[in-house]
Amino acid sequence: MSRAVPATALALAAPLLLGTGAAAAEGRLVISVYGFAQDEFKALVYDPFEALCECELVVETGNSVERLAKLEARKDDPEIDMAVMSTHDALAASRAGITQPIDVARLSNHAKLYDIAKDPLGDHLGIGYTFYATSIAYRSDKVEIESWGDLFKPELAGRVAFPNVTTNQGPPALHMLGKAMGDDGAELAAPIAAVAERRDDIVTFYERSSQVAQLMQQEEILAAPIGRFAWSAYTKMDLPMAWATPSEGQTGGMNVMILTEGAKNEDLAYEFMDYWLSTEIQTALAEALIDSPANAEVSVDEATAANLTYGQETVESLDLLSPSVILDNREGWLERWNAEVAQ
Amino acid sequence: MFSSRSEGLALALPGALFAALVFLLPVGLLLAEGFRSESGWTIGAYVDFFESARNRTIFWRTLRLGALVTLAAAIIGYAAAFAIVSLGESARGRLVGLVILPLMISPVARTYAWIVILGRTGIVNRALEAIGLTDEPVRFLFTETAVFIGLLQLFLPLMILSLVSALENLPRDAIPAARVLGASWWQVFARVVLPLTREGLVIGGTLVFTGALTAFITPAILGGSKVLMLETLLYQRVTVANDFASASVIAMILIVMSFSANLLLRRLAAARRGARTGTIKARTLAAGTTR
Repeated sequence: MSRAVPATALALAAPLLLGTGAAAAEGRLVISVYGFAQDEFKALVYDPFEALCECELVVETGNSVERLAKLEARKDDPEIDMAVMSTHDALAASRAGITQPIDVARLSNHAKLYDIAKDPLGDHLGIGYTFYATSIAYRSDKVEIESWGDLFKPELAGRVAFPNVTTNQGPPALHMLGKAMGDDGAELAAPIAAVAERRDDIVTFYERSSQVAQLMQQEEILAAPIGRFAWSAYTKMDLPMAWATPSEGQTGGMNVMILTEGAKNEDLAYEFMDYWLSTEIQTALAEALIDSPANAEVSVDEATAANLTYGQETVESLDLLSPSVILDNREGWLERWNAEVAQ
Repeated sequence: MFSSRSEGLALALPGALFAALVFLLPVGLLLAEGFRSESGWTIGAYVDFFESARNRTIFWRTLRLGALVTLAAAIIGYAAAFAIVSLGESARGRLVGLVILPLMISPVARTYAWIVILGRTGIVNRALEAIGLTDEPVRFLFTETAVFIGLLQLFLPLMILSLVSALENLPRDAIPAARVLGASWWQVFARVVLPLTREGLVIGGTLVFTGALTAFITPAILGGSKVLMLETLLYQRVTVANDFASASVIAMILIVMSFSANLLLRRLAAARRGARTGTIKARTLAAGTTR
């Protein structure tokens, strides 16, 4: 018995011990990305890149919180070389010392990007590779939307959904609502109070875009602020749907690429980032309706463009919350929201 | 040579190690997280949790919905179980099959079906309008009512199955005997059926209550962020705020609630047994209908 125990324990533990022993191999790039559309990314980006670089590409996925926590846990010995995340998560990562500035001279496609994507964080801590507009999707036969304030029209009472403050759409939508109310303070006090006051008129504070599409489809709601990336589902509905261009403008969000501090495969990471930003790959991702292009040289047909956040004019009209405003205020927003709106 | 005792231990070892490694250790670590702070061990996280009015609302809502769902399941469950055991063998099998059927369908699909059924244009609202109860569609979705309906539908089969097997073991002539002795239907239920089927009720009640407390998909889809329950709050704390301390507190509260419910139900059953068995025995003996 006494000898059997450690032997069994060893046998059980062996795979665990061996698993951690593998060091970063040569020609092996590890990236951390969002979990969505991975089949398409594999076909359009990962596989062609692997063929090109003759290296191995390891892809880790997960939601932003998990991925950020993992990067932070491995800060001193990073296994991930390159990651993509929202601008504010990237700023959080840089403040935590996880990232390093990107030498844009090593990215031949950097000059082709729209200006807002070139250096959204400052010091080239992140390079924008896609962005999306956030505006109001609505039933054009039932209601007219010309301002963010129209979400609270009497005819929309009990027929409108609003993004939860914890989603990426929440704070930008509140910001635009504040703008419409003439109070766009970074604390979002006025718009949160306005939402709280009309809490019963709002069907739900949604957490997933797919949920809104279903509510719209079964005519539970007539309007909701959504991200443009979800729009194509609405155009396929057998209902008169419209995308609002409110007088205060549209808002949205941007995703950036970051390079980890101490990345073990920096050269490959640069090669991969440049590849992803190239006109060819950005076009392929746009045509597959996966990511709106940050590369200004991408040209797509009208039907494709209608499903994306596309073109100089649209890009210039975006009123994005700055990543530092989001990062410095989101705890406060959540607290205010929980106290006033959520019960 | 191994004694039979050490042989038994050796056989149990792989299973025990597996359970310790993948269940006890992570759960223990998670629960310990709730008592840890930079300065040492503390119950600060628990104090913080209950100091928030919002958390208290969510705590009471979870307890209330869990209790209401269990009560409703018990009432409907007894009626359904009576109906089932009163039938012949083959009809009984078919009905039990029907009760089990929903358990074979994914809870996600079932819950999404409720979104359609309870919606503005769903059959519930159309029926209410047709019989003239309302002019305007009633809003069910994202209310406690919707979560209650969803949870009840989800867990009712467990209660019915527990009660069917308990009623099947009820002495066949206990009810006629009580009736002959002049007991009303309510007295028959309270003094004969309930005490004799208490085990089924305890098992069913524990399963339904624990299930309702720890269900995630139903409150997430039918309640959303407007009707948060402890389980959906736990998920939100982890995925949105990476706040494992709160998650640990909520996990501990859920565990304590589940164990307390089981204990309470057992106590109630035991108390009833003590109070009732004497009289029932005396009466059934007097009527000469003991088995």
